[in-house]
Amino acid sequence: MKKTILDYTLKVRIPLIVFVIIASFMTTYFVSRQERDGVGNQPVQPIKYSHKLHAGTMGIDCQYCHVGVTKGRQALVPSVNICMNCHTVARKDRPEIIKLKEYYDSSKALPWKRVHKVPEYAYFNHSVHVNVGIDCESCHGNVREMEEIKQVKAFNMSACIACHKNTKDFVPYVENIKQGPLHCAACHR
Amino acid sequence: MSEENKKYWKSLDGLNNSTDLPGKNHKEFPDSVTDGFNVESINGLSRRKFLGLLSVSTAIAATACSDYHDQKEIIPYTNRPEGVLPGKPNYYASTCNGCQEACGILIKTREGRPIKVDGNDEHPINKGKICATGQSSIYNLYDPSRLQNPLKGTSKTNWATADSEIIAKLDSVSKLGKKIVVLTNSINSPTERKMLDEFKQRFATTEVHAFDLFNNCNKKFGWFKSYGNADVPSIKWDKANVILSLEGDFLGKEGNFIENTRLFSSKRDFSNVKNFNRLYVVEAGLSLTGSNSDYRMRLKPEAQYDFVMALLNEVISKGASNIVIDSMVKNKLSKFSLDKIAKSNGLDSIKVNYLVEDLINNKGKSIVYASDSLSGDVQIAVNLLNEVLGNTDLYNYESAYVNTGKQLHFPQIEELIKSFNNGEVGAVIHYDVNPSFHFPKSLKYNEALKKVGFVISLVDSPNESTVNDNYTLPINHNFESWGDAHSRKNVYSLRQPVIAPLFNTRQREAILLTWILGSPKVYNESLYHDYLMESCRETIYSKKKLSVDFISFWNSALHDGFVNIESDGNSRKPFNISEIKIADSPKENSGFSVLLAKDYFIGDGRFANNGWLQEIPHPISKVAWDNYAAIAPSSASEMNLKNGDIVNVTVGDNSVKIPVLLQPGVAQNTLVIELGYGRTVISDVGKEVGKNANNLLNIKNLNSRWICSNASVENTGENYKLVSTQEHHSLDEEFVKDLHLKRGIIREANLDKYAKNPKFATEEDIELVSITSEHGQVGPKWAMSIDMNKCTSCSVCVASCNVENNIPVVGKDQVAVGREMHWMRIDRYYSGSSEDPIVSNQPMLCQHCDNAPCENVCPVNATNHSPDGLNQMVYNRCVGTRYCGNNCPYKVRRFNFFNFRDHFEDGFYLNEVSPLVHNPEVTVRSRGVMEKCTFCVQKISEEREDAIREGRQIKGDNVVPACQQSCPADAIVFGDANDPESKISQYRKHELGYGVLQTLNVKPNVTYLAKLRNTHSEDI
Repeated sequence: MKKTILDYTLKVRIPLIVFVIIASFMTTYFVSRQERDGVGNQPVQPIKYSHKLHAGTMGIDCQYCHVGVTKGRQALVPSVNICMNCHTVARKDRPEIIKLKEYYDSSKALPWKRVHKVPEYAYFNHSVHVNVGIDCESCHGNVREMEEIKQVKAFNMSACIACHKNTKDFVPYVENIKQGPLHCAACHR
Repeated sequence: MSEENKKYWKSLDGLNNSTDLPGKNHKEFPDSVTDGFNVESINGLSRRKFLGLLSVSTAIAATACSDYHDQKEIIPYTNRPEGVLPGKPNYYASTCNGCQEACGILIKTREGRPIKVDGNDEHPINKGKICATGQSSIYNLYDPSRLQNPLKGTSKTNWATADSEIIAKLDSVSKLGKKIVVLTNSINSPTERKMLDEFKQRFATTEVHAFDLFNNCNKKFGWFKSYGNADVPSIKWDKANVILSLEGDFLGKEGNFIENTRLFSSKRDFSNVKNFNRLYVVEAGLSLTGSNSDYRMRLKPEAQYDFVMALLNEVISKGASNIVIDSMVKNKLSKFSLDKIAKSNGLDSIKVNYLVEDLINNKGKSIVYASDSLSGDVQIAVNLLNEVLGNTDLYNYESAYVNTGKQLHFPQIEELIKSFNNGEVGAVIHYDVNPSFHFPKSLKYNEALKKVGFVISLVDSPNESTVNDNYTLPINHNFESWGDAHSRKNVYSLRQPVIAPLFNTRQREAILLTWILGSPKVYNESLYHDYLMESCRETIYSKKKLSVDFISFWNSALHDGFVNIESDGNSRKPFNISEIKIADSPKENSGFSVLLAKDYFIGDGRFANNGWLQEIPHPISKVAWDNYAAIAPSSASEMNLKNGDIVNVTVGDNSVKIPVLLQPGVAQNTLVIELGYGRTVISDVGKEVGKNANNLLNIKNLNSRWICSNASVENTGENYKLVSTQEHHSLDEEFVKDLHLKRGIIREANLDKYAKNPKFATEEDIELVSITSEHGQVGPKWAMSIDMNKCTSCSVCVASCNVENNIPVVGKDQVAVGREMHWMRIDRYYSGSSEDPIVSNQPMLCQHCDNAPCENVCPVNATNHSPDGLNQMVYNRCVGTRYCGNNCPYKVRRFNFFNFRDHFEDGFYLNEVSPLVHNPEVTVRSRGVMEKCTFCVQKISEEREDAIREGRQIKGDNVVPACQQSCPADAIVFGDANDPESKISQYRKHELGYGVLQTLNVKPNVTYLAKLRNTHSEDI
């Protein structure tokens, strides 16, 4: 029987197309995994703020700026007046500080780019983690070494669950730590 | 093929070989098939090209994904206000203005926007609770149909222009000597009254008139005649062993019913059964109070006078009077024989005898209460009856209602309208009122308004009265305003704004103040604030003689929301018996009576555009989104009326077409109609919801405008669909009759039976064996109990749950098919006869069963059990099979058939403003997922967070779900069942505690405490 174009399509073309689709999907899936989890996310900030300088070199406590971290769900990005506590006098002549002062004086919104994000349907709470003694580095990495803030760990459900299951392995430095809750309503409402 | 083969044919034309058939002329389709189909007009983009474009754009989109997902911005405060921590709520004390009662409220704000209102715990009157209307009033703040700019006629203008033009016009009107009429509701704010007085001085020809659709003028009149002043005291319900309420719905809508409910329920404490009160209700319609009564008698409203007279006669003739009654009065009273009146009105003589016996045996510890709608004569007679019974100690003079002044009555309104017509009036100011809706059409108010020539309305949204406006000025919501209120003698309340005005609005007081000061330039945001402070300094602070300075006093008063003030020593005065009017003989009442009543939720129509309030089912009939004429089933069957049949009710010259509802428990030949419905000039939610029955207001009856006699009722033959969240099942059918009692859903007994058999509620329960293992239980176990002795079915819990848990409004069409989304509902069951039923109520919510049937059937494990005993619902997992809802024996699961915010009235609540009402701690559910009560898991999380911060164990009593928080009767208790100290663990073990449908072995975690009725007979 004469081979028709249909046979060619069925035997060669379609399998080839399916293979290419699956292969590219798989490649993309694994290659972009980190990216999709946001690992390595380092957006350009409106002001070049260095965590390394403030938290590392100068050793300012995280909570000096992130005031909400022991009090509620949000750690909070500092309000501009907290920056101005020092910068009304300190380094007034630097271009980035001049920019900061402009924001402060004009009461214009200072649009920091969000780096870490847990989806809206997960009600992550900073205070319950920090108040049992888990330090910031366990999730946010060594911020004291970062010139510009960057996400280093995945913020997805499997990351949460991994630590909630094997809490002792993830935060060995906290004495008598109990396993984190694993039921749905602990994070989702 | 043989000719004999069977012939198949498709049609008669085919059989007859018609030539017109398609295919006959080698055409597949008839000629006309392509008519109106023009190839030229088709888009040039072919299917092939479209698919090509689609694949290319997908490819491009895929490559474009190589960047990180933009996580948007975090914008901090420039200067964080002290005390505000984003993510943490702030609470501000203020005063509600939903009605005249001025309850103290606590407004919860998040990041500067109000998201919940509750009662102010420290407020001496309402003690932490507010009504359903107050709870839901927050939706009015975010109502997209609010008027957003001042209007001149129908076009937008600005405040400065409007102010200067209005001031000039008012000046010229008053110079011409023409009247300026200001129409208001009665005003409970002393500062506002002072401001209106100044307005009168500034514009000399001003008249200020107050009008409320519902008021307590009759009661004030009766009190004035009896005691010489109009300061009607409140009642110490918690001191009354026996209560007789005549038509008075004091638990549902009269007086401060939140306070009344608390005081009443305190005498329904099952741990102190000796102290139970007994409630007799004599009424025409089946009210919320009537449904909670121990004995209820049906009486037409006109016959109440005869009934009170007969009671007086009976009590006095038995020699039980506490005061001396002269023989003339006795003689006159003797014509009112209780037996005869009971007989002629069909009252049960056994119940009447119990009543008289109880009143006499509980002298000094009982109270007789008459509805605000009953005439002044009845009020005087009731005052006398209380004197005769020595019940005056139960009057709370310290906390008497402050007299807010005179109100317009219909004869005066007719005069007023006459003065509109003959040109005496040069300007009319509608000060947050809606007379065109409230006044019967026969008064022709709107026509008269046209003759005035200059009409200004100060309103939150356009209404029936703004149609003829020269200026329509938008006013602030309560939460955007400063103010004060003095509605009870012992409390002065303050109102403070918790959010800057959302739109270009001003508070109503400041608008008038600007006109008084005579220049648009004087307005600023603190104009009325400064005025209020000054007034508070003069009237309150100066009298208190405190050592602190005024600013400290003011700040602490604002913080608390109220100031306790000394009552002005208005105490008991002697009863003036000469004022009592005793008729010559009892009246015969034949023909239909109509009783016009206040709606439980939407007030006088002011809240008609609030979807949450429209959707709360009526506490008795469970009808949502409508009003109706309630009629006794027997009267209906005489006239051959079915549910929903539209009748034409005619009283005098006025008539109204309204559907009837067969309501068991309504007096014979009586219609009960709730007002406030049928608004026409209003936004999408409230437009033409229900029927406007204001036309029936009895303008001729000076004694009571809400009672009409000799109405004629005719069936129009039309039918209208009323929707109810509870099927009205016929009580006569043997199968469903008393089903709830047979299945043990409702378990109740009278006090004697309880004394004899304390375990009556649970004795028939048998220990069941489960085939599955128990859930692993760690830490607390959350559980709830609902005390059916205290619950009055007021539905405040439903409203509170709506606001706390972001429950959408679905609309009448969806309620009709059972898609209402309320997580909490109040079931109502009748027992006994269909004419005079006994009502049992039961709040129903997710029972968080230990062996939850919903969990077993979920194919995706979207609903499952938490170790702390919660039946969790995970929206992200839910695929919407609805198996769980089907398998739930309590029917408390709700499915999002639509994204209701988008679906309701074409997305009425899907705009820039309305979503601000959402609680940010609770997910806003979208289409296709199941949802149900979570036991307010966000509040449990909050307690867990606090416990970890403070380094302590979780304490169950610290978790207060929205329903418990708002329950005015304190019927709901929530907590940790594993904590032996907690109230809930004791209630779970209590002999009255039972689980609904326990026989299914689902092990519900909501314990109902069986209702005890204080009746004489053991059959309830």
